[in-house]
Amino acid sequence: MPVDAILSAAPLKFALLCYVAGAFAGLVFFRFERAATLLSFGCAALASLCGLAVCAAALAGGMAAANPSFDLLPSLVPWMQFTVRLDPLGAFFGLVVSLLGLAISVYSLGYARGFYGRKNVGVLGAFFNALLLATTLVFLSGNAFFFLIAWEIMALTAYCLVSFEHEKDEARNAGVLFFVMSHLGTGCLILGFLLLFQASGGYGFDGFHALGDAMSPGKRDAAFLLFLVGFGVKAGIVPLHIWLPSAHPVAPSNVSAFMSGVMIKAGIYGLARAFFDFLGPPPGWWGVTVLSLGVISAVLGVLYALMEHDLKRLLAYHSIENIGIILMGLGAALMFLHSGHPVLAALALIAGLYHTINHAVFKALLFLGAGAVLHATHTRNMEEMGGLAKRMRWTALFFLVGAVAISALPPLNGFVSEWLTYQALLQGFGTTASLVRIMFPISGAMLALTGALAAACFVKAFGITFLAQPRGEHAAQAQEAPFTMLLGQGILTAACVFLGLFPTVFLKLLDPLTQQLTGEKLSGQLTAANGLALSNGALSGGTVSMLGIAFAGLALLAAPLVLRGLFAARAKTRLAPTWDCGQPGLTPRMEYTATGFSKPIRMIFKALFRPRREMQREYDFSPYFATTLRFESHVEEVFQTRIYRPLVRQVLRVSRRLRALQAGSIQAYLIYIFLTLLALLIFAL
Amino acid sequence: MNAPSVSADLGSQLITLMAALMLVLQLLLVVENRVLTGIRLYAIQSLFLAGIAGVVAFFNNAVDVYIVAALTVLGKVVFLPWLLNRQVRRIQIVQEIEPLFNAPTAMLVCGGLTLLGYIVARPFTGLERLGNNTLAIAITLVLTGFFLMFNRRKALTQVLALLTVENGVMLAAIALTTYGMPLVVEFGIFFDVLVAVMILGILVYRIRESFASMDTSKLNQLKG
Repeated sequence: MPVDAILSAAPLKFALLCYVAGAFAGLVFFRFERAATLLSFGCAALASLCGLAVCAAALAGGMAAANPSFDLLPSLVPWMQFTVRLDPLGAFFGLVVSLLGLAISVYSLGYARGFYGRKNVGVLGAFFNALLLATTLVFLSGNAFFFLIAWEIMALTAYCLVSFEHEKDEARNAGVLFFVMSHLGTGCLILGFLLLFQASGGYGFDGFHALGDAMSPGKRDAAFLLFLVGFGVKAGIVPLHIWLPSAHPVAPSNVSAFMSGVMIKAGIYGLARAFFDFLGPPPGWWGVTVLSLGVISAVLGVLYALMEHDLKRLLAYHSIENIGIILMGLGAALMFLHSGHPVLAALALIAGLYHTINHAVFKALLFLGAGAVLHATHTRNMEEMGGLAKRMRWTALFFLVGAVAISALPPLNGFVSEWLTYQALLQGFGTTASLVRIMFPISGAMLALTGALAAACFVKAFGITFLAQPRGEHAAQAQEAPFTMLLGQGILTAACVFLGLFPTVFLKLLDPLTQQLTGEKLSGQLTAANGLALSNGALSGGTVSMLGIAFAGLALLAAPLVLRGLFAARAKTRLAPTWDCGQPGLTPRMEYTATGFSKPIRMIFKALFRPRREMQREYDFSPYFATTLRFESHVEEVFQTRIYRPLVRQVLRVSRRLRALQAGSIQAYLIYIFLTLLALLIFAL
Repeated sequence: MNAPSVSADLGSQLITLMAALMLVLQLLLVVENRVLTGIRLYAIQSLFLAGIAGVVAFFNNAVDVYIVAALTVLGKVVFLPWLLNRQVRRIQIVQEIEPLFNAPTAMLVCGGLTLLGYIVARPFTGLERLGNNTLAIAITLVLTGFFLMFNRRKALTQVLALLTVENGVMLAAIALTTYGMPLVVEFGIFFDVLVAVMILGILVYRIRESFASMDTSKLNQLKG
């Protein structure tokens, strides 16, 4: 083992051990809530800090040498090695999980207090650590068996955390839905890995590298589809997304942040791993499929998000949107690889992966903010919030940063990755002469639409939640969150700003990764003006300087203050409520509601939403003086009603028929086994 | 083969003979209605199995196969029959109730299964070191044991059938490899069977207590 491998293996082992220790500490000290919280989340924070250092150091070091790898446990069964392997792609996702793990663990130290005396905090801490550990191992495992084991532990602990508040029907149902969908995905993955095994004769990821040439086209396409569905379920690609908006909101907010920030990225990791590392040079239709799914996910995700007035569900739908944007990058990269443009492929891949870490950071930040709001107001319904900016200043500021970032507004990080995505898509038109190239401008336009709708959605989310007057009693009495919760959000806010202002620094970390997957290093080409500006990789010479934008923005913000300082001495100052037009007595009932705010969008996309509303008015003598008024408005969830319900009905019908087989008699069961045995014997002849 | 050909022939013939006798005993077991006799038949069948193991050990000078033979005698010829006998006396059953297939049909089915066993084993006869058709008989034992298991309703007979299936597996192991399976594996199987029988013995007793019968087909009353 080379020296640097040993150096990186020891801290990594320490990090993994810390997660285990944290899990046990939570279980052992569950009777002492403070100790359990401190120990389990403290261990998680320490472990992720350590993991962060390892992964960042590995990526910064260029990873030129052989990937450091070691066996976590001795192998029990042939083929099944518990290989931990730190390759560039794994290290990048390890970086994401560790960064978020750190922020969320710190946040949880305060957040868990909300459960004291009500729920078992030790169990929460234990599952949280297990989830972090499993997710880290998913990214770092170098063997298909080990990967699947880690994958399953991740799914099962996530299930336990989703139904953590199992006394609520909502949490139980969401948990079951997540469980079923997740296993559907795992089934596809197992089949996919078996196909790879058939071609390579082993289960090690090293042996899977560039297997595409060794497989027949049919099997390769089958493996592509299996991995697309298997990982797509976890990533939440439309139409496999239905578990996501129900599972993410009901979990405790720190877990929602982790699930939305990292766990769905495990799907992206798997897709990148399977398409770029394993399945070799892609045929043309793969990229088109992935790009189209990305566009559909992005647009539908944001449209459904706009219709939500449950703060966490809204954020969950935005995860679908952002997964779509990431997929656009991956899909474009596949198309470029097919048409023989590795540099552009690297650019598109960078765009997708940059957006992966960006989305992880700002979505976790937003979920943590939502958690703080939930902590203070005890409701997820935005219609009962409002006016929180005055009562929760820091949370409001952090949420605003997250909202600006997710809306892809400069100078924050969302803008950088979406800008890179645009660049990749716009340059794609010239790469091929076939009709397929029309996909690129269409996707670009759809990305623009998505960005605009996302901005609208976060004007709504921030405005309705934090601005104006409180709409409910709880909102009026809300208190700022404790320090640790703010610190957790602060870490992510800092990450948002850093990733936004210094993209060229971060791009260097992606070099080994693009080198591994496409054979190109781009950070040099993408850097202009000594690292102060970002360039689009030379083709048309477009550059953008995030620092420049930031300074310009600051100057614009500062200008009124300066002007006021110069001239205010002479002006008269009058204090008055802002929006009452001189007529005092504004009440919360006069405010825009979340539903009202999104009505124009609902009307424009009527064909999709199929809005239905009912109004009942009771009056005594004249319809103009109603005594009671009841108003209901619904949006149809097309995927549930048109695809999943009929599917479930069919499955149930078949199952009812098959139930006759389960007679409850031992003899019958024995006969089944015997007949199967006979059939197999005869088949083997 | 290194051993002198005369003695190897003798060993081969001995093994073939004893294997054939095992098959005959199995067929007798299929039509036997009295449980106590069934247990005795099983004990004799196990004795022949031990004999085969002994012959294999003798002609290959394999000490660990002697241990297998000794264990088979101790466990399957002495201990398990004694355990089952005690169980029978404790719950006082003498006769099997009506089986799924009557005796002539059962014989016919078993004939068919024997045929299948021979056909299935044909590609592997080259792998056998000693005796002819031992593998075929082993497969037949497994198949007929299985058949016996669902043909009868009393839990005890089913336990007996499971034990004959295990005999078949053991025979296959001895037939296919000179020294049998590694000793560790044989120990594993042996203790598995022992534990299984003990647990089943307790279960049989419980079934009887709860349903006032040992008929496993009454278990479907448990179904919701």
